[in-house]
Amino acid sequence: MKTLKEKTGPYLYLVPCLLIFGIFLFYPFFKTIYLSLFKTNKMGQAKLFVGLGNYIDLLKSPSFYNSLSVTVIFVVIVVVGSMLIGLVGAVLCNKAFPGIRIFSTAYALPMAIASSSAAMIFKIILHPSVGIMNKILGVSINWVSDPRYALVCVAVLTAWLNSGINFLYFSAGLGNIDESIYERASVDGASSVQQFFSLTLPGLSPIMFYTLVVNIIQAFQSFGQVKILTQGGPGESTNLMVYSIYRDAFFNYRFGSAAAQSVVLFLIVMVLTLVMFKLEKKGVKY
Amino acid sequence: MKKRVISAVLTAAMLTGSLMGSTMTVQAEESGVTIDFWHSMGGVNGQAMDYLVNKFNEENEYGITVNAQYQGEYDDTINKLKSAQIGNMGADLVQIYDIGTRFMIDSGWIVPMQELIDKAGYDVSQIEPNIAAYYSIDNQLYSMPFNSSTPILYYNKDMFAAAGVENVPASFNEIAEVADALTTEGGAGEAISLGIYGWFFEQLLCKQGLAYVDNGNGREGAATKVVFDENGGALNILNAWKELYDAGYAPNVGRGGDSGLADFSAGKSAMTLGSTASLKQILEDVNGKFEVGTAYFPSVSSENQGGVSIGGASLWALNNEDEAKQDATWKFVEFLVSPESQAYWNAQTGYFPITTAAHEEPVFQENIAQYPQFQTAIDQLHDSAPEYAGALMSVFPEARQIVETNIENMLNGVSSPEDAVAAMAEQINTSIEDYNLLNS
Repeated sequence: MKTLKEKTGPYLYLVPCLLIFGIFLFYPFFKTIYLSLFKTNKMGQAKLFVGLGNYIDLLKSPSFYNSLSVTVIFVVIVVVGSMLIGLVGAVLCNKAFPGIRIFSTAYALPMAIASSSAAMIFKIILHPSVGIMNKILGVSINWVSDPRYALVCVAVLTAWLNSGINFLYFSAGLGNIDESIYERASVDGASSVQQFFSLTLPGLSPIMFYTLVVNIIQAFQSFGQVKILTQGGPGESTNLMVYSIYRDAFFNYRFGSAAAQSVVLFLIVMVLTLVMFKLEKKGVKY
Repeated sequence: MKKRVISAVLTAAMLTGSLMGSTMTVQAEESGVTIDFWHSMGGVNGQAMDYLVNKFNEENEYGITVNAQYQGEYDDTINKLKSAQIGNMGADLVQIYDIGTRFMIDSGWIVPMQELIDKAGYDVSQIEPNIAAYYSIDNQLYSMPFNSSTPILYYNKDMFAAAGVENVPASFNEIAEVADALTTEGGAGEAISLGIYGWFFEQLLCKQGLAYVDNGNGREGAATKVVFDENGGALNILNAWKELYDAGYAPNVGRGGDSGLADFSAGKSAMTLGSTASLKQILEDVNGKFEVGTAYFPSVSSENQGGVSIGGASLWALNNEDEAKQDATWKFVEFLVSPESQAYWNAQTGYFPITTAAHEEPVFQENIAQYPQFQTAIDQLHDSAPEYAGALMSVFPEARQIVETNIENMLNGVSSPEDAVAAMAEQINTSIEDYNLLNS
């Protein structure tokens, strides 16, 4: 027979953690859902109950579909790009040779660069008249003000920024693959390309899956680059969902609409994550 | 032995230092009031602001301490104020940009500056009338103008001379007329680097003498809809802009007030539009590579008779129901707009001296002798009239973004000028309606 103290004891230990979660995660989460059912006044307070009105407005708004499709294109470029750069870098740096540390540091470095400061530097690099990009390529393209290039520029910048942490994950993953299987494979006469596809990639699949999930979520939440490089423009060609939420909430003080978009974004990321965990059981070998 | 002496001396110095420090704070607490002042002046402007605040703190005889806090850019300050006012934790004095004016008046958080002025018996006629007009409604000055600027045309005198262009263009069609000469004989890469900036659009309306919104341009009452579509003003601007763009005279250099400046300073474009407050920066960037000329902000067509309105920011007294603080706030405001402070401020930043008496100050006269280009800005302001003070609208920050997005779409060939105007009007009207519905 346990005493009352023994029964409640474990829960007491959980209280601080739950309290922090409650204040910083659960409360904002439910408040967001609540706000998404209202229109707010200039102070951002819920004023007029509109039920699903904000969601209906969203679904009717071409600008919302635009930001959805822009976000999807962006996420695809970023995830593919950043994982590719990270993987290639990690495979190249997996061999020991002189100066390997310099290369490893160079590939991992983007991890340490804040997205806003990288965006500031890219703003100068991509500047149409004084930027080095046009000088090197010998062209005269207004990279961030032309709707054809703006999204690609922001996405490539983000892919490079995110590649640093991927490089680190993949390097760790490669270190975990047993060297002896490569030796056995070369005895059997497997080429290095065959080795890469039959040994390295399957060996990396658990870490690959993890980076994929993290990268997708991270790509959806990219913000600083857009805010500094394009402010969602030109037109609305780089108006990613997170940026559009920010604009609506903290610029236009329409928290209702912003909250509704947040809920939609949450649903998208949640569904994607669930789908990926389902797929994990098929593709990932531990 | 030597070390011991040194350490003893150091300890003594530290002790006296801390003792002095504590006595000083005690004095301030005993005899004076502390007021919080939020501003948005960073960089060189921020240093000038700090200098003025420190000077006031040291010199004022009322024991007032001003606690100045940099709050980020204009947008950040007004947004922080909104959040802070929910908890009633805002400042006593806050610097808010021009387009936040209507919002502040309607907010119910402020004490109209006129009340403080009347109480102190300050003579309002000292303030430049065209600047005061922007912040006045029903002859009440709601906030104290502090850093005011107007847009002007900057041009490359060397290119103009090489192209043999003698008259600086005063309108968009005159720009088109001289553009070919500038790009061929003048050696310019482009005639004008024209940034997509909502402020320029507003100024071009003022230059036509047309209103932006109804209810007397939002000055007689809260605006209920835009009128730039009905009065044709917006279409004139967009057509003229698109013509310059299509002819290659004004390529798309991006969004925002500073986006055209780099091309100009780099010697690529022959002209650019920018705030008077950018003059110092431009001269610094150009660094003597060519001679910089300044001229009046161009109108849409040569027949336009309107003027320019001002931009920049003003000082708002918040109602904290504390008379002592309010008096202290006024003392500080009075110090900031004194001719001496304004002359210093103008020389350091390039904003207008808002009091006419500042023109008599030696600091001001030295500055204008060194930068004669600044005279253009002052003449332009004096040539304008209070009726071109520009619109007031509570959703102005958003409206400006809408205007910029649609101009961008038009230049990129997504929409025609007519469609762009219609889209602007519709989107701004929706947000005005929402605002009026939710905040009445």
